[in-house]
Amino acid sequence: MALAEICKISNASYMRPTAWATDDVNELKSYASNFENPYTLAAPPFANPVENLNKIQANADKTGIKIEFDHGTTTLGFKFKGGVILAVDSRATGGQYIGSQSMKKIVEINDFLLGTLAGGAADCVYWDRVLSKECRLHELRNKERISVAAASKIMANIAHEYKGMGLSMGMMLAGYDKRGPGLYYVDSEGSRTAGNLFSVGSGSIFAYGVLDSGYDYNLEDEAAQELGRRAIYHATHRDAYSGGIIRVYHMTKNGFKVISNEDCEMLHYKYQAEKAAQ
Amino acid sequence: MSILAYNGGCVVAMRGKDCVAIATDHRFGIQAQTISTDFKKVFNIAPRMFLGLTGLQTDILTVRDRVMFRKNLYETRENREMAPKPFSAMLSSFLYEHRFGPYFIEPVIAGLDPKTFEPFICNMDLIGCPNVPDDFVVAGTCAEQLYGMCETLWRPNLEPDDLFEVISQSMLNAFDRDAMSGWGATVYVIEKDKITERTLKTRMD
Amino acid sequence: METLLGIKGRDFVMLAADTTHARSIVVMKHDQNKIHQVSDNLMISTMGESGDTEQFTEFISKNIALYKMRNGYDLSPRSAAHFTRKNLAEYLRSRTPYQVFMFVAGYDAQEGPELVFIDYLANAKALNHGGHGYGSMFTASIFDRYWHPNITQDEAYEVLKKCVQEIQKRLIVNLNNFNVMVVDPNGVKKLDTIMASSLAA
Repeated sequence: MALAEICKISNASYMRPTAWATDDVNELKSYASNFENPYTLAAPPFANPVENLNKIQANADKTGIKIEFDHGTTTLGFKFKGGVILAVDSRATGGQYIGSQSMKKIVEINDFLLGTLAGGAADCVYWDRVLSKECRLHELRNKERISVAAASKIMANIAHEYKGMGLSMGMMLAGYDKRGPGLYYVDSEGSRTAGNLFSVGSGSIFAYGVLDSGYDYNLEDEAAQELGRRAIYHATHRDAYSGGIIRVYHMTKNGFKVISNEDCEMLHYKYQAEKAAQ
Repeated sequence: MSILAYNGGCVVAMRGKDCVAIATDHRFGIQAQTISTDFKKVFNIAPRMFLGLTGLQTDILTVRDRVMFRKNLYETRENREMAPKPFSAMLSSFLYEHRFGPYFIEPVIAGLDPKTFEPFICNMDLIGCPNVPDDFVVAGTCAEQLYGMCETLWRPNLEPDDLFEVISQSMLNAFDRDAMSGWGATVYVIEKDKITERTLKTRMD
Repeated sequence: METLLGIKGRDFVMLAADTTHARSIVVMKHDQNKIHQVSDNLMISTMGESGDTEQFTEFISKNIALYKMRNGYDLSPRSAAHFTRKNLAEYLRSRTPYQVFMFVAGYDAQEGPELVFIDYLANAKALNHGGHGYGSMFTASIFDRYWHPNITQDEAYEVLKKCVQEIQKRLIVNLNNFNVMVVDPNGVKKLDTIMASSLAA
């Protein structure tokens, strides 16, 4: 539209779609809602959503009004001397049905900030996108990249704003800023914590087993990447709702690197061959 | 979640030309957690007959044991091998016996008649309503996916090797879209003079 | 919140069980033994509804003892597991089901070692390694990672220690001590209890 602006023809009526012809600004906004402002979501079509949404969900069996979001995940992240490792699976399930085996559950917010998704897929994807925008705006306004702490705070504020309305998210934010490597856990309950090691999702209990028994802050880069990969692999093997491709990312002071995207099937038979040789 | 999906798993059987095939996955889970990956839900109950059971594992074991007992009793009394047709009738009435407190299983039967070698496949619901089609039968947590695969791949008069290929691809691609089934699979092809058992290499997630 | 663990090697089976006996929000006892020796080559670990566990384990043990008196030889571990499962399954569809989770573990000269997982629905499966209770969810992947077909008793004990460590790190409930018993060709033997204090050392 830049050319139209310069030529001063953008106000011409033939340049406007019908909705824009109206003078009623409020009516116009109601059609564009979160197109202009991502925080203005449509209100649920009933009163007092915090209370009533849960009632509707609880009665799902009787009413047949049941919302089955894409769910189930294993994600993990840990800090070590060489930076931060993030590893995730790629399965998306709706109930028992496997909707996708190639979800991207790590969002590249910018070169120095990564986010992981767990919980409601749509919730995570949407709010990570909003976060990306906020982070970019911060960068443009302040002429420096946003810190991991600040980014995670934005996310936690959003989550807290919608608390009790049925959002379902459990995400980790990993990055590298002035303070060094950063790793935060943020969820839809509004909690936000910094830490050295997290795992989130239905398969997290399985990932923790391998992770805790093999973790050491002084691991070498390759060993740390392999630990993350192994932990996710064991979780995909035991958890019905995790699987697909195992993605490993490594965040260093020079930004993130994609270490590997490997299929679980291939990894399983590789590890099994190693065990047989033992 | 349905009690029939508590442990996960699936079975499929198909008719071919003078042969039948039956396949099972290997998963035994408790809801989302996989406990074991070597639980075959198909049992060899007569020289040319297999019984597949999906559903609640405790009932799979109980029904298998009780039906075997009745079958053995029949064979000792009659002094002859039990054919698939009377076996399915017996299983059907056994399940209906528990009409008001059913066993949470869905059976699949595949076999050849001991005398005529006529292929036979059959499945039932949990209280014993029999269904004897001339193409294929499915059961388990990915029944919908299995129907889709079988409808597209199955053709009449498949030779044993082709039947193996069709049943394997059907099962593999069906349970790859189901979180509760998979973790290995075994296929049995039953012919007049031999039974071939093959283990499939599958995804383990 | 109780936890049972089991691991099988080429010629032995090792069981571990926590020792807490809790009622409502109170821990009544810190040294409750949940692994019972049933015969020279058989043991059963049980958890679940209190009362049911004692009653059912005793019922099974005494019947297995009776079998030996009647026949002059022991029930093999596989048969013992089948007997246990069958009883549990029959009680499941009665008005008085037993809410118990158990492992039947034994060694037989002919049949080798046997570790059978049985839950309250009488789902039963012979396993190489497994667990019951919330704690077992954290240990499933540790077993997958460190178990191998030629595992020795010492290695198995070390794996159990790793499991206990993980349970104490991640499970919200405090399970301090774990009794450990092993059955092999020489019979049933109690090993050192895995304690939070001994793990720290």
